[in-house]
Amino acid sequence: MNAELLALIQMAVGGGLMGMAYALVAYGFQLTYAAGKAVNFGQGELVMLGAFIGLSLAGIGLPYWAAVPGAMVAGAALGWFVERAAVRLALQQRNEGWILLTIIVGLFGVSAAENIWGREDKPFPVPWPDGALEFFGISVTWPELAIAAGALGMMALVELAKRYTMPGIAVQAVSADPDSAELCGIRSKSAISLSWAVSGAAAAFAGTIIAPVTTVGPTMAAALTLKAFSVAVVAGLDSGFGLVLAGIALGSAENLSGFLLGSGWREAPGLILLILALALRPQGIFGKKIIRKV
Amino acid sequence: MKASRFILTALLSTLLSTGAMAADVVKIAITGPFSGGSAPMGLSMRDGAKLAISQINQSGGINVGGTKMKIELIERDDEGKNDRGALVAQEISAMGDISAVIGTVNTGVAVMGDKYYVEKGIVKIITPAAGSASMTQWSKVGTKDLPIFRFAAHDGIQAQMVVEQAIRLGLRKVAILHDATNYGVSGRDDLIEQIKKQGGKLKVVAIEKFAIGDKDMTGQLIKAKVSGAQAILIWGIGPELAAVASGKEKLGFKVPMIGGWTLSMSNFIDTAGAAGNGALMPQTFIEDESIQRARPFIQAYHKAYGVAKIPSPVSAAQGYDATMLLAEAIHEAGSTKPALIKASLENLKTTVKGAIADWKKPWSKWDPSNVETHEAFRRTNTVMGKVKNGRVVLANPSEKGVLEGKKTK
Repeated sequence: MNAELLALIQMAVGGGLMGMAYALVAYGFQLTYAAGKAVNFGQGELVMLGAFIGLSLAGIGLPYWAAVPGAMVAGAALGWFVERAAVRLALQQRNEGWILLTIIVGLFGVSAAENIWGREDKPFPVPWPDGALEFFGISVTWPELAIAAGALGMMALVELAKRYTMPGIAVQAVSADPDSAELCGIRSKSAISLSWAVSGAAAAFAGTIIAPVTTVGPTMAAALTLKAFSVAVVAGLDSGFGLVLAGIALGSAENLSGFLLGSGWREAPGLILLILALALRPQGIFGKKIIRKV
Repeated sequence: MKASRFILTALLSTLLSTGAMAADVVKIAITGPFSGGSAPMGLSMRDGAKLAISQINQSGGINVGGTKMKIELIERDDEGKNDRGALVAQEISAMGDISAVIGTVNTGVAVMGDKYYVEKGIVKIITPAAGSASMTQWSKVGTKDLPIFRFAAHDGIQAQMVVEQAIRLGLRKVAILHDATNYGVSGRDDLIEQIKKQGGKLKVVAIEKFAIGDKDMTGQLIKAKVSGAQAILIWGIGPELAAVASGKEKLGFKVPMIGGWTLSMSNFIDTAGAAGNGALMPQTFIEDESIQRARPFIQAYHKAYGVAKIPSPVSAAQGYDATMLLAEAIHEAGSTKPALIKASLENLKTTVKGAIADWKKPWSKWDPSNVETHEAFRRTNTVMGKVKNGRVVLANPSEKGVLEGKKTK
């Protein structure tokens, strides 16, 4: 295979693997949107806080396998807090204040991280081996594989829980119709809280799996919210499978445009995709058009 | 009546005594990035300088025209950002009673901010910023009277050494990688110029840039690899350098990485881990206690800050030596007036024994056509360092004599 083509494939594969992380963060949007019709625009900051908490837990001597769940528990608590503190009140008053409020909570998270952990980028220790694997001339590192496996695994787990556990079914019922769900004895507020907690846990988990690649710093996920939002909008806010495809596509497109047009153009595809999706197919490529009966 | 007179005298005497106290200190400002990607350099520089200040103050202060004056320190974090740095420079130059400034890590900050010091004639010793532009900006406009001095191996020297090293390794084709800041861009230009100057023995097969905050350098490295580069000559700062090192490892692109002294930053060495081993960079100081001259400083630093490793040894030692030189200049000027301090910095009479070298008249009268007049370092007091298992060691052990002070200018 010629070197030029191989280089392009290498870039696409590397980007695609990273794109799985976008998909996982976007999945967090989907969860809360389904249950409560709101998303957390500070999701990227939850990713960052999750990574920092994981790093701190590893720093006090916990093994990796304990630090990651620890970060997820903290992420769940943060997600729950964002819903209670920023979203619920605004939605009760039927206004869009939650958009700004979630952004503000996120900014507060950045300030908190700067004060607690400092502004330096810190390496995140992992148990995987150093070095890379090669498949047909394409190099892939263990942390990259961990992102892909972790993102897919996490999403699969939550999807299973949604279908086969009582709380999961309750959340789905609330997503479908909160009023009918209430009539069946489901407390919709609890279901919404649960979805935010799971979304927060997913974000924190995303933080711990991307941190070995990006290093941990207060600004590590600054662009992540927007990218994940692009993925969520392109895929539609109700297709988990679409998220993975859109995430891979966006990650690859970013890497390829950086490679072909120069590193300054890396961020362009995400924005272009977002604009196109909003203009041409607001319900998402994989989304269903919701017909409201009046 | 009696009571009011008593109060009046008491008030007057406190007024007088605070006046006297203010006259008994020399105010020095230290500026640099104490947060952000360049923080290891800024913090080490500051802590090295503070070590010198505490040693001076413990011995009673600087003898200024017969009065012992203690040094009072003002610290400002410029966050490594150009605009923030300009604000800091404005603030300090407006204070009115600052005798001198030590600091700046980021060349862009010096380019944006130093004009405020020049306007007010405030002395500044730039350390450890190495980018050529921070001095050449003054020679370009032909400033006649310059209170800005540099105490760092500037990029001209560093680029020369990087190219020398590449030639010494017998390389023919190299790729230049640089960040998009003032530092990176002027480093790239210095490298290209040096390659020409040293007989064009190296062929530049790729020039690639990256932005601050980039984590994935695969693209740039693939281009370098495909073009057959035998080494990466690189100009950037810690976090991005680490990303390049891990990208190199990912692609199995096992060529040497040679670059500016920033390859000795702790946030490169610690983040890159094993992937950073073998990186080569010019150094003015090596944290190696077997070097006689360096030992007292290294031990004092470790003890004062409770660390086993200085985050950026070069910055720390330069901060320390620059402060010692400044204190000597204030002593020789016999005044805290910036103009007189500047004149004595340009003509230091006493040799100052520092952690890096014995500094014998490091600067001379500013000549806009020759920036070397305000540059303290020469090629001869700079060595090549190499990353080895988390530390920087001498790349060529034969150069140890340079650091012992056998060859100073």
